[in-house]
Amino acid sequence: MELLVQRCFDGMFTGAIYASLALAIVMIYRSTGLLNFAQGEMGLMGGYVTLTLLSPTGAAGIGIPIAGTAFASRWIPLHPWPAWAAIVGAVAFGALLGAVVERFIMRPLTGRSTLSQVNVTIGLLILINGIVFQIWGSFSRKVKSPFPNEAADYVGILGARLRYTTVGVWATLIVIIVLLTLLIQKTKTGLAFRAITSNREGAALVGVPVNRTLTIGWAIASAIGALAASLVGGAITLSPVLMLNLLIYALAAATIGGLDSPRGAIAGGLIIGLTQSLSPPYLGIPTELTLLPPLAAMVLALAVRPHGLFGTVPVNRV
Amino acid sequence: MTTISNEQDAMAASPALPAARMSRMSKIGLVVLAITVAIPPFVVTPLELTKLSRLVVLVLAVLGVNLLTGYTGLISLGHGVFVGVGAFAMANLIDQGMSLFLAGFLATLFTGAVGLVLGLPALRVRGLYLALVTFGTALAFPPLLRRLGTWTGGVTGRTVDNDAFVPPSLLGLDDDVHIWRYGVCLAVVALWFVIIRNLVNSRMGRALRTVRDNEAAAATFGISVRYAKAGALAISAAMTGTAGVLQSLLNPYVSHADFDSFLSLRLYAAAVIGGLGTLAGVIFGVLALILIPTINGAFELLDSDAIVFGAGLIIMTFIAPTGIAGLFKGRDRGKSESP
Repeated sequence: MELLVQRCFDGMFTGAIYASLALAIVMIYRSTGLLNFAQGEMGLMGGYVTLTLLSPTGAAGIGIPIAGTAFASRWIPLHPWPAWAAIVGAVAFGALLGAVVERFIMRPLTGRSTLSQVNVTIGLLILINGIVFQIWGSFSRKVKSPFPNEAADYVGILGARLRYTTVGVWATLIVIIVLLTLLIQKTKTGLAFRAITSNREGAALVGVPVNRTLTIGWAIASAIGALAASLVGGAITLSPVLMLNLLIYALAAATIGGLDSPRGAIAGGLIIGLTQSLSPPYLGIPTELTLLPPLAAMVLALAVRPHGLFGTVPVNRV
Repeated sequence: MTTISNEQDAMAASPALPAARMSRMSKIGLVVLAITVAIPPFVVTPLELTKLSRLVVLVLAVLGVNLLTGYTGLISLGHGVFVGVGAFAMANLIDQGMSLFLAGFLATLFTGAVGLVLGLPALRVRGLYLALVTFGTALAFPPLLRRLGTWTGGVTGRTVDNDAFVPPSLLGLDDDVHIWRYGVCLAVVALWFVIIRNLVNSRMGRALRTVRDNEAAAATFGISVRYAKAGALAISAAMTGTAGVLQSLLNPYVSHADFDSFLSLRLYAAAVIGGLGTLAGVIFGVLALILIPTINGAFELLDSDAIVFGAGLIIMTFIAPTGIAGLFKGRDRGKSESP
């Protein structure tokens, strides 16, 4: 029982991270019909920005100074920043990165085939990973968590430990969802976003600023990715390959939930997180193969319910 | 829901019925290619020639990606997995005491079957799901190899018994094993090339391109979209498996580290940079695959050549959607094929 509850808590932590990245993927997919394979890597860069803003105080690690620290301490006021401020900084950076990518890379490709656009996101995945590797190296580093993360920072429930970081990450996720819902349901930008989702050409015809709205959409998605990377870096270590695995979990989550459904992204993230944490003790899957259950879940979902739990089944016009 | 296939793009600009005869440019290219591949045995050291052979067989992997993405409109980010499956299947089949030819043939078939099993659920749905599944597989592959120690040697990897991969004694090439091996690799690559060239110019090739350009139209013409996609995937995986077979024979030591997810990403980038939907593009793609790391290594420019592959992929999509091969083709016909 203890083990079960503990594993569920662990799964909920990672599940929240996957859910937020899946949410970012779903946002882009809904508005542009495009799967952004670079979503994880754009977040990864944000994670490293957090690390740079935190260091040297916040970066526990292997004693090798973090690239950019000297630059940051000279040019950024009050550097090093406290953990929460560093994450806010990284989220701002993520938003900027997303906006720049949309404006200068994706927008010029409007009207080109989906294959071309997807190729560019795959190119971005490889490119940004290479840049991160070039700047920050291949070391694994731990990011300081913005939530209390000492050994004693947990609530005991049924003998299992619910860590404050898990609570904090879920609280963050809920805040994101509430803010996103408010943005999409109550603001003019949100109305424009919904208009583009339902009919892009039509929205443009009635005067919806399609380009500006898409830039905002990419900025928000990328900011969420940066937040996810910063938070996961507090629990696991941050390394250039981290987000590749996370991307697969997030994509699996989005597929299971339905690629066009934000609700589905949250549910899918939770399912993947729990599958991943429960499969080693109960299915006897070795921990280094935790990539397999989510992958199997994704393949199963494709076989049984191809458009996801909450996704809409598309109508193909000939 | 959008698919990756039903829109107008430069890719669709390749003619629906390509002439079976070769253009003048292609003939010149073929002659240049034949001369180029004939030079290395005379100028480089045996070690370098073996290294070169290992890159030459990657033509098969890039060709596999191209058949799938360029001709059928499906994205695979996991072709490195198929190289690995081919290599390890070969190693284990040789252990069973099979002849190299039989083992290579079976390993190729096996890899094709693996591709089919992986892809079938994803191919039920339109869209990018095959890319998701293959990319996930590419990431899960190295840890899986480390786990399956019986067949793969686990963390340390395993040796491949390539003693039989030597020239027949009547050729009198006993001192030039590496040249013979280079020749065999070229011959196998050429064989697959001819098979694929005939395939894409056949009824099935036209079916694949129709599926790529418009699935609904393909179905209307009586093409079974699912069989066409599954067939393309199986053949693509099989030829990539052959690349693995040859790699394991050239370097008789295979381990999980050789088949990480970046191999798959590099292969995909190379196929796009070279030019999707044309066979010449495969050659240019492999040249990129060879030259980028070589130049980067020689000048010690970057810690990892990923930046060049990523930037190359993006830049080529912008300036030359039909890849390097498209640039030549455009000049040959006196018109640009950019959209």
